[in-house]
Amino acid sequence: MPVLDMLCRDPRITRVTLIEPDVYKPHNVARHLFPLSAVGEAKAVLAQRWLLERRPDLVVDLLLCDLCDPAQQEAIEAAAASCDIGVCAADNEPAKYHWDALMRKHGKPWTLGEVLSGGIGGFVHWFVPGGPCYGCVASYLKRSVTVDKAPPPDYSQPGGPVYETTIPASKAAIQTIASLHAVVTLALLDDPAHPPFLPPASADAKGGGFTSLLLTLQRVPDLFEEAFRPYRFRVPRAADCLICQARPTPSSVEELDVALDQALARLENA
Amino acid sequence: MSLLDSEAGKRRLLSVEIPVIERYNEGRDPAFQIRLSRLGGTLVLRYCLKPGHNIYQLETRLVSSYPTVPPETRVLTALKHCPHLLEGQTLCLWRQGSTRASSRWDPARFTCIFAVQAAWRWLACYEVWHETGEWPLPEAK
Repeated sequence: MPVLDMLCRDPRITRVTLIEPDVYKPHNVARHLFPLSAVGEAKAVLAQRWLLERRPDLVVDLLLCDLCDPAQQEAIEAAAASCDIGVCAADNEPAKYHWDALMRKHGKPWTLGEVLSGGIGGFVHWFVPGGPCYGCVASYLKRSVTVDKAPPPDYSQPGGPVYETTIPASKAAIQTIASLHAVVTLALLDDPAHPPFLPPASADAKGGGFTSLLLTLQRVPDLFEEAFRPYRFRVPRAADCLICQARPTPSSVEELDVALDQALARLENA
Repeated sequence: MSLLDSEAGKRRLLSVEIPVIERYNEGRDPAFQIRLSRLGGTLVLRYCLKPGHNIYQLETRLVSSYPTVPPETRVLTALKHCPHLLEGQTLCLWRQGSTRASSRWDPARFTCIFAVQAAWRWLACYEVWHETGEWPLPEAK
């Protein structure tokens, strides 16, 4: 919601589609713009009301569903196809990959904001058609950057549940990273391939400029030496990325189905 | 992306997963080849591994949200209760966190054969543990 609020103050934004299945809950109040009295309402409806109170001219479409819901993909695809830019603030990996696939399919630029557990910092990533996909970025960061020192699961209890410790970020930390996310998104609006935050001669999002920004908000021993330190990552498109590198497959859906059925039948009978 | 229902999932299967399974099977003793079956929206790989002296039957499930969600591998052959073994004899093959930082699975680089190889390594550790009581590899960090 913070990034949505900041983006929609810009008059260049004339229409937004919100994809959000969640209902506002009491534990959300500490980190959201909405009051306690709004608990129980759909977050997307609250966001729509908030935006229209400030921008009555704005068109706000709602999809009250999970981004990955198979039954809603037609409507989600239509929204993706008609947008100029995508903005993702999802907090789970399947949703980020799904959004990435949608944006690549329809050739749209998009941005992603991520607040780290505990609000110790956060990432802003930006993606353009032909550049690295979320898989390229996630894989690179997974191997190159440590942002989590949570202890490993308790393997001394085989069969037991594997819990992970996540500490909610503060509203201030969320707002800080959301502000960066909004700044990057707005900068991409006019010319996604050459956003003004990159030096003109330094190339573009396809390889030369930075594609991910990490801002630390706290000093964390063995993790972040300093608070308020930015790190810029130039993540290239990976030549062997299994998510975005095109491989030969039949062009039509019908031929694809036939080829897949034949391949599965070969291996079912192996 | 739904593996068996969406166009993206089907293209991933046809261009990435099935070719690596066929390469794995090529020239391999038929008893140790991977066989596939469909179970709703899940693709199930059934195969045998022999990391040392014993043969184990396994299945690896590619759930509908694969590859963004890692494959689940379980051993069908009865095992002794041991470390790194979850409910239903499901193997703890990678740290199973839900965030990018806390999960060791990488859908941009790993295929289902990586899971098969990881299961082989797990079983090799199990055989050592069975004899010595010591798990020979450090815990995932």
